[in-house]
Amino acid sequence: MQPDTSESRAPGRAIVACRGLSKIYTDGAVEVRAVDGLDLDIAAGDFATLSGPSGSGKTTLQNMIGGLDRPTSGSVTVDGEDLSSLNTAHLAELRLHKIGFVFQAYNLIPVLSALENIEFVLQLLGVGAKERRARAASALADVGLAGMEGRRPSHLSGGQQQRVAVARALVARPAIVLADEPTANLDSKSADDLISLMAELNARSGTTFLIGTHDARVIARARRHIEMVDGKVTADTTGDLADVAQ
Amino acid sequence: MLFEMAWRNLWRQPMRTALSLLTMALAAALLVFMLSFQLGVYDTMKSNALRIFDGFARIQPPGYADDPDIRKTIADPEALAAKAEQVKGVTAAAPRATSYVILANGERSYGAAIVGVSPTRERRVSTLATTVHEGRYLKPGDSDAVVLGDALARNLKLKLGDKVTLLGSALDGTIAADSLTLVGIFHTGIGDLDRQVAEMPLGRFQQSFAMGDTANTIALVGPSLSAVNAALPRLDRLATANNLVVEDWGGLQPGLKQAITLDFSTSMLWYVSLVVVVVFIILNTLLMSVLERTREFGMLMAIGMRAPLVGRMLWLELILLALIGTVAGVILGGGLALWYGHAGIAVGAFEGLMAQWGLPGRLYPTLSATSALVGPAVIVVSVAVAGLIPMRRIRRLEPVKAMRAA
Repeated sequence: MQPDTSESRAPGRAIVACRGLSKIYTDGAVEVRAVDGLDLDIAAGDFATLSGPSGSGKTTLQNMIGGLDRPTSGSVTVDGEDLSSLNTAHLAELRLHKIGFVFQAYNLIPVLSALENIEFVLQLLGVGAKERRARAASALADVGLAGMEGRRPSHLSGGQQQRVAVARALVARPAIVLADEPTANLDSKSADDLISLMAELNARSGTTFLIGTHDARVIARARRHIEMVDGKVTADTTGDLADVAQ
Repeated sequence: MLFEMAWRNLWRQPMRTALSLLTMALAAALLVFMLSFQLGVYDTMKSNALRIFDGFARIQPPGYADDPDIRKTIADPEALAAKAEQVKGVTAAAPRATSYVILANGERSYGAAIVGVSPTRERRVSTLATTVHEGRYLKPGDSDAVVLGDALARNLKLKLGDKVTLLGSALDGTIAADSLTLVGIFHTGIGDLDRQVAEMPLGRFQQSFAMGDTANTIALVGPSLSAVNAALPRLDRLATANNLVVEDWGGLQPGLKQAITLDFSTSMLWYVSLVVVVVFIILNTLLMSVLERTREFGMLMAIGMRAPLVGRMLWLELILLALIGTVAGVILGGGLALWYGHAGIAVGAFEGLMAQWGLPGRLYPTLSATSALVGPAVIVVSVAVAGLIPMRRIRRLEPVKAMRAA
């Protein structure tokens, strides 16, 4: 695993590079091209959304960038690591060190408290107990949940759980955070708060976000919008996207 | 945190966990109690059967066990018995001389084993004296006295004070003949002893059989059979130094040893079946848990937890479950074994059968480290090994597919 350096994550530098990326599923004689010869760069510091109709390949693309799924052809490079050269164990290492995940269904560990959920990632990284606790508490405070350290997920609202998930994704200082429909299960107020939080964290820490979403409010807040149809990028827009959202 | 997670995961389904624990606790308790009972009965059987006549071990000339010839002798048996009593684990030693003779009363005659014993020493080694129900046992100063088993006395139509004629072969090849007076009749409940054994004073035996000061064997006892078994290497050295050998309890009572081995083998089948059933119940519960939590495992792998570590967490849950269940079982089964070890279990209906093995009408389980730990340890190890199956399943999981699981 290459070390994380500030140089490799300098703003504008490609954190993710996809080249000729394809993922083909076969169901009997039927061949489905979920991602079809896609070229895409995500730059350090991007706050990008990935949208498109259901089946357009958003989730498959995110899974391949996150090292959760392997491409049929083409390559993915994340923070200088060519994922195709990594075995299962090294992919797990890469996800731990370089990628943060925020899932639609929160996916917190139900038997751990909010603080412990965040600490857990640091423990996998081998961070000592004292530092671990301090960093987890700080991450929880960053997402506005100071005072809720001891609460289990079942005692948090959906919005609070998703904030814990964001804190967990960020605590290891990853190269990129991949969020898959993070607001889909939230009410509008919680969704707005979460979008604001992610945008603020991106602005404050420069963490790169790639958010798969249908949510127009998320798209409106992004600085870059990538649209996919039938496994291909059909639009890649940078700048003020308020009108795109509308 | 892995341990904490495993512990908390156990209690996510409290009813399921409680049922699993109960299954393991009951199985472990049953194993502890049954093993304690069985080993306790074996100890009693061995102890009673050996104490009544044979002793816990015997020093004898080489080859005597297969061919108990009167010419195979021990020189200066009193001195050797005194040395044997100095060995740690041995509390008493008694020299004996034995021959196979014809005992006759008038026209009636029967074959029997006549044993020459030193009455004082013999009382410390054998409980046969306590089974004399008519007359008395041999005592120092007796000269022509003899005690017989009640079946033998009945067959010879003898009563106390009657003369018994003895006819056999002496050590020097001459005819050994003597006339003895019946002073006591014993009843051990062991057919072979009651039908075929007679005892007379060692001094008179040595005279009648031209043995000089020699004997054929030295019977040994200690505070317990296990104490004497532990002393066997030291006894062996003592025997070897005198060109003799030591026979352990299995050699003295091969029938009993075989019966115990057979009974234990049969029981082992039952115990193994019990462990297998328990392991399958627990494994089934665990596999259900794995299926239910596949999505969670996928998430853990997605955030960077390696599959083997996820598997280890699940295995830890299983070990915790097994340890808690078996410890509870040891406490329950051990408590029952201790209680019945004190109070005993009445086996009135089988009293006659029990007597054949020298067993009393009330049996006592004996809780030992072996009976308390072997069964539960087998359960824990079996469950731990069986737990490798779901671990393998987890190692093969792919995060994306796992997270799509319902």
